[in-house]
Amino acid sequence: MNVVKAQSLTKTYGGKTALQGLSFSMEDHTITGLIGRNGAGKTTLLKTIAGFIRPESGDITVFSEKPFNNLKVSANTIFIEDYMNWPTSLQLGELLQEGKRFYENWNETLPERLFDYFNLDHKALHKNLSKGKKSTFNMIFGLAARCPLTLLDEPMTGMDAAVRKDMYRVLLKEYIAYPRTILLSSHHLEEVEELLEDVLLLDEGHLQLHLSMEELREKVIGLTGSRGVLELWVQRHRILHTSFAGEKEEYVVVENGFSEEEREQMKRAGIAISDISPTNAAVYLTAKEERSIDDVLEQR
Amino acid sequence: MIFPADETKPIYIQIAEWIEAEILKGHLLPGERVYSQYKLADRFTINPATAAKGLTKLAEEGVLYDKRGMGKFVAEHAREMVIHKRKTHTLKKMVTDLVQEAERLELSEAELFHLIEDEIKGRGNGE
Repeated sequence: MNVVKAQSLTKTYGGKTALQGLSFSMEDHTITGLIGRNGAGKTTLLKTIAGFIRPESGDITVFSEKPFNNLKVSANTIFIEDYMNWPTSLQLGELLQEGKRFYENWNETLPERLFDYFNLDHKALHKNLSKGKKSTFNMIFGLAARCPLTLLDEPMTGMDAAVRKDMYRVLLKEYIAYPRTILLSSHHLEEVEELLEDVLLLDEGHLQLHLSMEELREKVIGLTGSRGVLELWVQRHRILHTSFAGEKEEYVVVENGFSEEEREQMKRAGIAISDISPTNAAVYLTAKEERSIDDVLEQR
Repeated sequence: MIFPADETKPIYIQIAEWIEAEILKGHLLPGERVYSQYKLADRFTINPATAAKGLTKLAEEGVLYDKRGMGKFVAEHAREMVIHKRKTHTLKKMVTDLVQEAERLELSEAELFHLIEDEIKGRGNGE
C-alpha cells in the first residue's frame, strides 16, 4: 500500500523554487532516508506531506487523502523537527499526557523507560531544555506516538554522539516492535545508512533518485588507473568525481552500468575497481558538477 | 581518506557471510532454525528488510531453506555448500590477488611457493 504518493509536486517561496515536479511514492512499513544538501527542499517536502503547507501545483496524497488541513492525516502523522511549537506552560510529563490523549497507538512505556535513562525530568519545561535534550524529548515523543506515518526532520540535532547512537537503537527497536512508515532526514547519512531501506535523494528541489540502499551503492563505482586507459572506459559514463591517485594515475567516480564482463576486462587492463559507500554515493550524486572545492581553492 | 580503498561490502552480503561463518564454525547445524530478520536487525542495528535480503540470498543458494511461517532453517549439506562456494570464489579471488601482488614484486614462482610452504609449516609448528 502506498502511504505517500506525490505527482509533479511543486512549491515556490518568493519566486524561488523549493520543490520542482516531484513524483514518488512510499510503501508502508519502510524506513526511508531523505537526503540532500542544505536548501535542497527536504523540510518543505516533509511539511507538505505533514499537511502544514499546501503545494502550489501537482498532487500529494497521504493515506489516499490530501494532507493539507486534514484531520485524518494529522491524527496518523507526526512531524518531528527542531522548531516544534510546544505549549509553553506545560511540563514534559503533561506533554506526554496530551500525546496519549491524541494518538491512539501511544506507547506509554517508552517514555517511562527512556526519561530516566536520558536524564529528562517530567516537571521540566521544554523551553528550558538544552538543544540536545529538546531533540531527545522530541524524538521520544515522536516514537511513542506510534503514528503510521512518522516524519523526522534532522531529529538528532544537538545530541552528542553517544545519545545519537542510543537513539538509533531506540528508533530501530520501536520500528521492529511496531512497524510504521518512517521518513527521516539527516545530515549524518553514514550514521543512519544501516537503518534505512530506501533513500529519496533531493537536489535543489528536484527528485534525483528514489531507490534502495543497495541500488544506491551500485549506482556509482570508483576506478583507479592510468589516465589513458581510464579515458577509454569512462567515455560513455557520467563522471562525478576525479582526484589524484598517483603520479600517472587517477581516481574517478562514475555512474555505474558496467557489465560483469566489462569489469573483468577493466581489471585485466590494470584498473582497480572499488565500491562506494551509500553515504559517499549520495555526496557524489548531489555534488555540484561544474566546480569542486579544489577548483575554488586553486583559483587564488 | 585513502582514495581507492574499497568501501565496505553491502550489509546484506555481510549478514549472509556472518551466517555462513556461523555454519562453518558449527554454531548452526543442519535442521536448526536461523535467526529471523528481526532478530538479526536488532542484533546488528540494521534495517529488517536488509537482514531479510541476506537470508533470502542464502535461501536462493540452497544453504538455507524455508519452512512456511516458521522462518529459515539450515539445509542438510549447508556446510559443504559454503565450503565449496568459498573455495571456488573467495579463496580463488585471494589467490588471484596474491599472484598479482607477487608479479608486481617480481617474485619468481619458486619464491612464491616457498612463501606459502613456510606459512603452512609455521602454522604446523605453532600448534
